Amino acid sequence: MSRFLINRVLGMAVVLFLVCLFTFVVFFVLSPDPAVQICGKNCTPEAIDQIRANLGLDQPFWTQFWTFLSGLFAGRTYGTGANAIECAAPCLGYSFQTSQPVTDMIVQRLPVSATVAIGAAVLWLLAGVSAGLVSAVREGRFADRFVTGLTLTGMSIPNYVLALSLQFLLVVTLGWLPFPQAVPFADDPVRWFLNFLMPWIVLAIGAAAVYTRLTRANVIDTLQENYVRTARAKGLRPDLVWRRHALRPALTPIVTIFGMDFANLLGGALITETVFGLNGIGKLAADSITKNDQPVIMGVTLLAAFLVVVGNMVVDLTYTAIDPRVRVGSAK
Amino acid sequence: MTTTAPETGADPTLLRVRDLTVGFTTAQGPVDVVENLDFDLERGGALGIVGESGSGKSMTSLAIMGLLPKGARRSGSIEFAGTELTGLPERGMRAVRGDRIGMIFQDPLSSLNPYYTVGTQIAEAYRSHRKGVTRRQARTVAIEAMERVHIRDAARRVDHYPHQFSGGMRQRVMIAMTLSMEPELIIADEPTTALDVTVQAQILDLLAEIRAETGAGLILITHDLAVVSEVTDHIVVLRDGDLVEAGPVERIFTDPQEEYTRMLLDAVPRIDDEIGLLRTTSAAEEGR
Repeated sequence: MSRFLINRVLGMAVVLFLVCLFTFVVFFVLSPDPAVQICGKNCTPEAIDQIRANLGLDQPFWTQFWTFLSGLFAGRTYGTGANAIECAAPCLGYSFQTSQPVTDMIVQRLPVSATVAIGAAVLWLLAGVSAGLVSAVREGRFADRFVTGLTLTGMSIPNYVLALSLQFLLVVTLGWLPFPQAVPFADDPVRWFLNFLMPWIVLAIGAAAVYTRLTRANVIDTLQENYVRTARAKGLRPDLVWRRHALRPALTPIVTIFGMDFANLLGGALITETVFGLNGIGKLAADSITKNDQPVIMGVTLLAAFLVVVGNMVVDLTYTAIDPRVRVGSAK
Repeated sequence: MTTTAPETGADPTLLRVRDLTVGFTTAQGPVDVVENLDFDLERGGALGIVGESGSGKSMTSLAIMGLLPKGARRSGSIEFAGTELTGLPERGMRAVRGDRIGMIFQDPLSSLNPYYTVGTQIAEAYRSHRKGVTRRQARTVAIEAMERVHIRDAARRVDHYPHQFSGGMRQRVMIAMTLSMEPELIIADEPTTALDVTVQAQILDLLAEIRAETGAGLILITHDLAVVSEVTDHIVVLRDGDLVEAGPVERIFTDPQEEYTRMLLDAVPRIDDEIGLLRTTSAAEEGR
């Protein structure tokens, strides 16, 4: 088991290193000179040189990359003397546009994205898995057709359409929900909850549709298994047969994609956060893309990659917990 | 004044099957896989249902259990211990399944759920039929059942998963699962087919032992006449859903009345046999 863990962590480190290298190449080497962009209009060559020196852009590529990497672990200092800017580890870069370390900007917005992701994930898991189970055990009947119709609709509506129409319907026309406004949980929990309700629903609908289809297909497959027949032959109640003997095995592949989807969402829901004005990672990404704040874009990209890689590993570890056959090193 | 006591156990017949027909509707029209089948099983008796694959023997067992696949039609009468099973609602049928009629399937690996320990799977049946049984009690029952089928170190093995058992041991687990409920009838559908020969013999011995111990009726479904001769006292020979011949084992083996039964008997390998051409039932029929 520990050997498996070590292998996985090493593999993860390699992937993350390559992701860093690739992102670094894309943002700092292939893109137009960041110094010129940071300097903006009315810029003198001296100012550009100054910025280049501050950013370390006058160094050779590998030195730059090394400085970036060591910044991740040990922090780094931009510039020298009185103008020096400290960037503590893990330093993802420094945004000269906002005069903030990228790490701080991300950490500030992470709770919002996490709230959005967790709430949406709970919703879509509950809705998707139960609808999928109902659809599977009622295969071909009305309930199945009805659910199938819903999932097709859910999958076809683009996020932003759903977000805007929900907002229009629930807030403007019906007035069921207050206009979204950032409220800390401690101040007004109800308002806080209502605030997040729409983003949760918007993000959950598309995913729930996918999870419904997946659960349905898996459960229908599992219902053909001999051990389901055994469970029936034992005289178990149908709900026990479905829950214990059909749903549990069918959930294994769902855990896989759930790990990926959730990690993805933690890294920011760009459209939804922007539409609902939530100050999360997605909004941060959107804003920095508009402003071409490259260190931030790169930081957000790296975070997303990191989350996906970690999510993948968590999924692998979960596998060993949920499927006894994958348990590594178990005695025969 | 005389009162007639309810005659419990007066009927020596445990299972009476009459005119059983199982059919499916296919693209080519309706097909009957079992046609007008009649047979009886006495209490404590052992009946072998023999036939090639596709003869309808498994469908017969699933029809008794009420576990036919979706879209199957069933007609006729299945009377079990005085109760007509065909008219029984699903809830009533569930009370019979597992509790009064236990079933052992062909492939013990795929018939056990890989996600649960064998103990859980044995205890699960027990807990669902006996109300108010605690987890601990059910576990004790599971361990006892495993000991009865001669699984060594049952108290430890009860927490193992199916993939941690060998093929023969898995089939013992299946048998323990059935046995834990003390059923009146055990239906074993090709219980030894997926196992290798030495293990086959052990499982057959175990079935015979359990029958002697519990007095449960046994229906053994197989394509292998050699298997039937070891465990059962009556045989029903099926072909393409029709009953070919039925009778006591000795009579069928020594004096088969039907050509098809004779061919099946010829297919049983004997130690004094000369090695000749492999005969198929259809080739034999054509007189080759």
